[in-house]
Amino acid sequence: MSISRRKSSLWRACLATLVLAVVGGFLFNWLMPQGVGFIPPEVAKPLWKAIAPAQAKELKEQGAVFLDAREAGDYGKARLRGALKLPAGEIDKLYRFLEPTLKQAPALVVYGQSTSRFPAAYLAQHLKRQGYEKVYVLEGCLDTLRGQGFDIQEIKRQGASS
Amino acid sequence: MKARLMELVSLAARWFVAGVYIFAAYDKVWDPAAFAKSVATYDLLPLWAVNSASVVLAWLEILVGAQLLLGLYHRAAAVWASGLLVFFTGLMLYAGYTGAGFDCGCFPGGGGAAAHEAGYEGALRDILFLMPALWVVWRPGRWLALTPQASGRDGEYLSDSWGRHIS
Repeated sequence: MSISRRKSSLWRACLATLVLAVVGGFLFNWLMPQGVGFIPPEVAKPLWKAIAPAQAKELKEQGAVFLDAREAGDYGKARLRGALKLPAGEIDKLYRFLEPTLKQAPALVVYGQSTSRFPAAYLAQHLKRQGYEKVYVLEGCLDTLRGQGFDIQEIKRQGASS
Repeated sequence: MKARLMELVSLAARWFVAGVYIFAAYDKVWDPAAFAKSVATYDLLPLWAVNSASVVLAWLEILVGAQLLLGLYHRAAAVWASGLLVFFTGLMLYAGYTGAGFDCGCFPGGGGAAAHEAGYEGALRDILFLMPALWVVWRPGRWLALTPQASGRDGEYLSDSWGRHIS
């Protein structure tokens, strides 16, 4: 067999492997109960409403409670001043401690978004299902809020250089 | 004698890489939501691409593993295995540079405890796995392989399923 023919058959086999992975993956994902959708349901069919930073500030003045849906480590580094920690992955563990405060709040504003993750959407969806009426997701991530008049609390660790 | 030794090394390398890939992938295939979460941790893909990419990646890994185990178009599988390992090495170096500190999501049993932390150690591990994968690309071998495949550069080294020279 010539080198060029062998090379082309090698690439064909590589392509076949990729096609099989795509077809197999999507079929399995579609047929099995544990399959995931293309887009998370809290983003594809949101029960919450997005809110612009300016409107969120108005809600804060009216007593809205801000919730940080990011992971605890991120909350430990920087957060909106006064925001409560409720990571999307720890709702079951932490919700009961915050429930009395959340029930009394006129509105809930959730934040936490990055390139690949949207924990704020997940938490907001969960809260809507719990029966909270006014649940909003703050547009943008913590970095984009810096220049918009929000008071961001940076937590410096002991021993860290300034 | 040399041909048989080469076949033996190729078979060992092929099955080693197959084992790594199958071990790494079975949990990702079975629990796509958990793997998608691991992929999202790197924050490299847009939200809409995370689930699809993680499903395809998991299936690519399991197929590559199965192909290498059975010797089914195993040279192509080794090309994929090597390419993926180069990609994973880059990912680990990036994670090490940014001080990620999270579980790499490479193997089962990770979770929050960061059993396989993403970083420079992970990069070194992937480079070590890359060696046998590249060997199989170079000399796929024919022992216990379903697909008859010429080994080495064209005409340099060809043998049958038991390592006997056939050209």
